[in-house]
Order: sequence, then C-alpha cells, then structure tokens
Amino acid sequence: MNGPVIPEFGRGSDCVRDRELFCADWVADNWRGVLLPRLVEHVELTLVAVAVGFVIAFAAALAAHRVPRLETPFALIAAFLYTIPSLALFQLLVPITGLTVATVQIALVGYTLLILFRNVLTGLRSAPADALEAARGMGLTRRQTLLRVELPLALPALLAGVRIAVVTTVSLATVAAFVLPRGLGQPIFDALREFFTTKLIAAGLLAVLLAVAADALLVLLGRALTPWTRARRAA
Amino acid sequence: MNPQGIEFRDATKRYAGRAEAALDGLTLEVRPGEVCVLVGPSGAGKTTALKLVNRLVELDAGDVLVGGRSVREADVTALRRGIGYVIQQAGLFPHLDVAANVATVPRLLGWPRARTRARVAELLDLVGLDPATYGRLYPAQLSGGQRQRVGLARALAADPGVLLMDEPFGALDPITRTRLQEEFLALQREVRKTVVFVTHDVDEAVMLADRIGVLREGGVLAQYATPDELLAAPADGFVARFLGADRGLKRLALRRLGDVELEPASLLADGDPRLPAATSLRDAVSAMLADGRDRCGVAENGALRGSLSLDRVVEVLGRDGAR
Repeated sequence: MNGPVIPEFGRGSDCVRDRELFCADWVADNWRGVLLPRLVEHVELTLVAVAVGFVIAFAAALAAHRVPRLETPFALIAAFLYTIPSLALFQLLVPITGLTVATVQIALVGYTLLILFRNVLTGLRSAPADALEAARGMGLTRRQTLLRVELPLALPALLAGVRIAVVTTVSLATVAAFVLPRGLGQPIFDALREFFTTKLIAAGLLAVLLAVAADALLVLLGRALTPWTRARRAA
Repeated sequence: MNPQGIEFRDATKRYAGRAEAALDGLTLEVRPGEVCVLVGPSGAGKTTALKLVNRLVELDAGDVLVGGRSVREADVTALRRGIGYVIQQAGLFPHLDVAANVATVPRLLGWPRARTRARVAELLDLVGLDPATYGRLYPAQLSGGQRQRVGLARALAADPGVLLMDEPFGALDPITRTRLQEEFLALQREVRKTVVFVTHDVDEAVMLADRIGVLREGGVLAQYATPDELLAAPADGFVARFLGADRGLKRLALRRLGDVELEPASLLADGDPRLPAATSLRDAVSAMLADGRDRCGVAENGALRGSLSLDRVVEVLGRDGAR
C-alpha cells in the first residue's frame, strides 16, 4: 500500500518532476525565495571575512615592515592556518565556538591572512630606494613617508592581494554550509542530498559569477586608485 | 632665502665595523652663494661629507655649521626642509605627477594652495619645463634629463639657502649631461644658492665649481682651492694624478678668448683661424693646431678685436700659475 516516498516538489513543472539536468523555470520561481537571499548572505560572509582578514594582515604587515624580525613568525602562523584543510578546521572549531557564524568566520579569515599579509608587506617594501632617500632628505617624518609614499606605492600589490583573497573566499564560503545554513553553499548541499542538479548548477553558477564580478570591480577600483601604473612614456 | 655659508669643522665619521674613517677631520668653508664641488675616488667620503650637512649621516666628532648654526642642535626635520637635496636617480615619487612632486616641501610646510601652485609653475619654467605640458605627467613618462630637472625644481621649491647635489648628472648621457651642467650654471647665477656638489668627474668639477675639495681614500682632504689654482698647482702627486695628465688643457678650458689680453690684429697672417671671443682657450689651441698655425684672430660681433699666439697662451698660463 505504501508506495515509494516521493519528495514534495509543490507546483513543480514537468522539467522539475522529471529531474532534468537544468530547469530554468525553477530558477525563475525560486530566485526571490531561495537564490537571492543565499547570494546576499554569501556576499556578507565574504565581505566580513576579507575585511577582518585585511585589518589583521595589514596591522601585522605594518609591524613587520617596521620590525623585520617579525616577518618570519607572522608568515609561519599565516602559512600554518592556510594549510589546514577547511573541513577539518570547521570540525575542530565547532566544539569551541559551536555551530555559529563565528566558527565560519574564524576559518574564512584564517585563509585570507597569508595572501593578504604577504602582499601588503611586499607592497610596503616596493617603494624605490631613491624615492625613500629623497623623502628623508626633504624632511618627511617616518609617519609622513609611510602615509605619503610607502602606502600609495603599496596599493598595486595590496589590491592584487585583496583580489585573490576575495575570489578564494567566495569559493571557500560555500563550504561554510557544512556548519551553518548560510550562503550559496546551502542550496548546493541541499542539491547534493536531493540529486537536484538545477539547484546545484544555479547556486554554483551564482558563486562563480559573484567571484568574477567582485574581481572585475576590484580591477576597476585599482585603475581608479593607481593612475600612475598605466602612465607610460609616449613613444 | 639668502644663501647660507657652510662650515665643516674637523668633521669626522666612522662606520661600524670599518677600521678606516669614512671622513677624517674635514675642515673647509663654503662661502654663501658659492659652489663647492667635492671630488675624489670612491670611498673617499664625498657623499658622507654631503650627508653630514642634512644629517642623513650623523657626525661622530667635529661639527658642521649651516648659516652659523650647528646641525647638531637643529631640529632634524626643520633642517632638512630648509635644505634642497638632489640625488643621482632624482628620487621622484612615482605615484605623484610632476607638479605634486615639486610641491612636496611647500605642502609639508603648509603653504596655501595658490602660493604652492604659483611656485610650482615658476620653478618648472626655471628648469625649462613648460608647466602646462609637464605638470600633469608622471615620472615614468619623463626622460632621465627631464626627471633630473624636476628633481632640481623640487629641491628649490621652498627656496632653501643651501643646495646639496649628490652626483645629480651622473646617470645621464653625455649630451644631456653637458646641457644640464650649462643650465645649472645659468640657474645658479640667477638663484645664488650655497651648493655642495659631489661628483667623481673632474671635468664636471672644473666646469661648475667656485672651489673644489679633493678627497682621498680614508676621507682626508687633499686640497681645497679654486679650479684654476688646483690645476696650476696640485698639492701633491695624488691630486695631480687624480686631475689627470691633461690638467694643463683643463686649465685652458677655464678661460675664454675674450678674457685674455690680446695682441694686435695686425699680426694676423692669411690662413690664421678667426674665432669668436666666447671660444675657450682649449678650443682655440685645438683650432690652431688643426690648421697648423701659431696664431688666431679673435672676433666679437663680427668685428676683429685682436689676435692671440700660442706663445702668448703659454705666457698667460705661466703668469696666472705663478700668482
């Protein structure tokens, strides 16, 4: 009498009921209810992780720029965090911080540190020696040299680091659904359980588009902030 | 600002881990408005001496006075902002355009915008760069010579009394270098700064200096004299070798035909070269030798002013040398 359990697909179309590879109508029906909110959450996860990671890495890079002895220990810590497999890290953190945003963020931030620290420090060190010599000779204080010379000249490397960190975090944040039903990882996990490829493809594609859009935005920001990098001598 | 005198008093600098001093008891005075060129082989302490003035290098012993005040007692930031500093690679800030580079020190000093802008335009004009064309360019868009001009304009921006120039033309091609040297001389006549200039090029020193300080290894001053005195009477074998075997010819280059007492034009024969009064004695002798003559005519504004023989050239140098 009890037939096989058939999942409830509501007012699903033939395409959805037949489990076809991709059903555009499902995407249209679920854009507002499922996909858009997850996308917004995903952007939120990424922004917070990169912002917090940037603040920590920037402070560490400034310190290491001032006191070169600090570079090796900072780089080792960041590299260590970077090498822990993400799922293992979530597993390790859950007993301590629970199934919370904090768990997810600690992990995501941890992965941004290495690339951001390295790039900010490289950027700060990229000011040409003759420009620094001239700066000292003209009576710029250390602070003025940092703010007016070293930091602006660090921008290209710094922004390159932020680009990599953002793209990596967008991709990594999908795994956060392992801990918390948030972000584009959640429809992907659901889809894997339900064998529903439409959801998988739609959410995966959104994650890719988000990464590409964020990267393009940062490239534009870089162009606006560093006009001198494109100034070349007329032939 | 009026030019300030600079006085080195037994100034000494040793770097850690080196037995020999970088600069050993340097004593010399640069009078206000004069160009003092420091020459010597590498490791003779030329750049060290220059950097003692703006305290990029700190004294170990002795003193350096700028405008009568010891640099030891001065606030280092204020001291540097009051001294123009030009270096070999120009040291322009790559992320700032030419106008912003030149405006560096006025901005640090908090000048009103309008005054800074006017000053930047004035200085770019002074170094031969059109402000409208070059003000908005970045250093990467300039040639080496143009960068050096901007570096000089930047150093002069806040009208310092003293200018320190560390091999400013050393990285330029010979044609650009000569042009910048000539322009620097013309500019110096106009702005009258007290200049300490470091080079390892004897010809450059002879051309630009009011006085030359020759330093030897170990940072010891071998001789301090006007170019003419130095070339006529080197203090010792080291100075003579450093000046080169052609120091007699270098002395000739210091004088122009118009500067010497001429002989009558009636002594000229057909075929003797006729040269403008602005020609250097060196070039005049070269022209006579090239034509195989022992006399040349000296013309000014198209009219013959007199003549000069090779014998007379020797006489002129001999008399000045004995002085």
